[in-house]
Amino acid sequence: MDLTGGFGARSGGAGPCREAIGLESLHLGDEFRQLVTTLPPDNAGGSFTALLELPSTQAVELLHFTDSSSSQAAVTAIGGDIAPPLHSFGGTLTFPSNPVLLERAARFSVIATEQQNGNVSGETPTSSVPSNSSANLDRVKTEPAETDSAVEKQVPSPNQTNRSGKRKDFEKKVKSSTKKNKSSEENEKLPYVHVRARRGQATDSHSLAERARREKINARMKLLQELVPGCDKIQGTALVLDEIINHVQSLQRQVEMLSMRLAAVNPRIDFNLDTILASENGSLMDGSFSGTAMQLAWPHQAIETEQSFHHHRQLQPPPPQQWPFEGLNQPVWGREEDQTHGNDHSNLMAVSENVMVDSANLHPNQVKMEL
Amino acid sequence: MSFIKVLILKFSSLRTQTMASSDKTINTDVPEKDVFAIHFLQSLSNLTTQNPFNSPDTTNYRARKIKKAAYVSMAKAAGGSSRLWSRALLGRAAKENNKIVRFARRKRKVTWKISSKRRSDQRAPEATDRLRNLVPGGGTMETSKLMEETAHYIKCLSMQVKVMQCLVDGLSPK
Repeated sequence: MDLTGGFGARSGGAGPCREAIGLESLHLGDEFRQLVTTLPPDNAGGSFTALLELPSTQAVELLHFTDSSSSQAAVTAIGGDIAPPLHSFGGTLTFPSNPVLLERAARFSVIATEQQNGNVSGETPTSSVPSNSSANLDRVKTEPAETDSAVEKQVPSPNQTNRSGKRKDFEKKVKSSTKKNKSSEENEKLPYVHVRARRGQATDSHSLAERARREKINARMKLLQELVPGCDKIQGTALVLDEIINHVQSLQRQVEMLSMRLAAVNPRIDFNLDTILASENGSLMDGSFSGTAMQLAWPHQAIETEQSFHHHRQLQPPPPQQWPFEGLNQPVWGREEDQTHGNDHSNLMAVSENVMVDSANLHPNQVKMEL
Repeated sequence: MSFIKVLILKFSSLRTQTMASSDKTINTDVPEKDVFAIHFLQSLSNLTTQNPFNSPDTTNYRARKIKKAAYVSMAKAAGGSSRLWSRALLGRAAKENNKIVRFARRKRKVTWKISSKRRSDQRAPEATDRLRNLVPGGGTMETSKLMEETAHYIKCLSMQVKVMQCLVDGLSPK
């Protein structure tokens, strides 16, 4: 019951929870600083070690039944001994000088004290002035697991202050049994802290993860919708996906058509490229035939041939114009040869300009119309 | 001096830019046209070096070869193995090539495996599956990754279409 209450308060609004966490940590840090500064840690040893050897409940009871000044001293000793690692752990905390915040922290600490007092000893919560320290002790001892549950208990606690001791004993049992569960659950939830649950949304980790995934998919869909022309006016995921599929299919079909057209005009490309390469490494044109032989020995593997191509161009460039010169001395090629040998550089630059500049202006619709 | 060197220089500079901006959440950098063009032209020249024009190849076969070269060079221009779809394309091309070398020109039919677990998007399951079949390597992606890869793939495809159109326009007889 307490668990559901805590979850309800948590899912009701993430803002107050966060504020409570901040207040809690601030409050703890402030108290620790106070304890450290008021008491030198060298006289801490005896009573603290004596307390440590007892079980925790006995120690709490012992603390509880001594008079207020001695318990205060013992707890300050404990605080002085325990505080430095925690203090270093909370080194990023900023201690506020804001009086409003401090007052609210004090109020929260009183509420938490009442709660803890009822939990530990089953007394009525009105006599809680000396057991402030005991609550603090309890919280200090179980610090990493305690913060979450303590925070969750702080929010509904104003309603619970005047309940019976029996109920609080039950709460204590529930709390002690679910302490580990809660800490592990919070560890699981940590990656999804940025996902906020709105009102009426589920807050278990699966729902949070699912919501995060859906939001991710929606963001990608929006991106895709911007990419595909004429797709940003369509409503509905299925229709948008259909449009995207059509776009991809049309692009793939265009590539097929263009490759067929390129296959029809391929020989001129070959010749141009060969002259390009020849002009690039014209001084090494009399290289060995082994380069071409090796290139022929490769299988029809575009990747490896291209790699070998790079390789050869770096080490010893192959004479690629041997093939056209060998078998293709036809009048058409002779004309091409004259033209390209005459102004090969300008031709190259024209080709590259054509590739680089004109391609920016072409739209798929134009391509479709031309095809 | 020659435009290939210029393009390679430009390619290296662009590569550093893309490496610098690769840590965004949704990274869909536009791939470089010149890089694709240079890859494509080189593979075309390789293709015709291996199969001279007077060899008894049909135009259909040559067109298929050119298409494959175009896709492979697009995958390379898109950054090789940095994208899932380009990695899948390159791997498929290598596999098909091995098949072709071993068995005489049998086209292997590629069927993308679609696990039924991935089909968890309730709104448009069949549409996402069709998209999975279209994008290379999409069979094993989760849905959000599939969307991201599709966006990049669309950009690369449109770039490829533009460059190939320019090549066809510039090299076809007037």
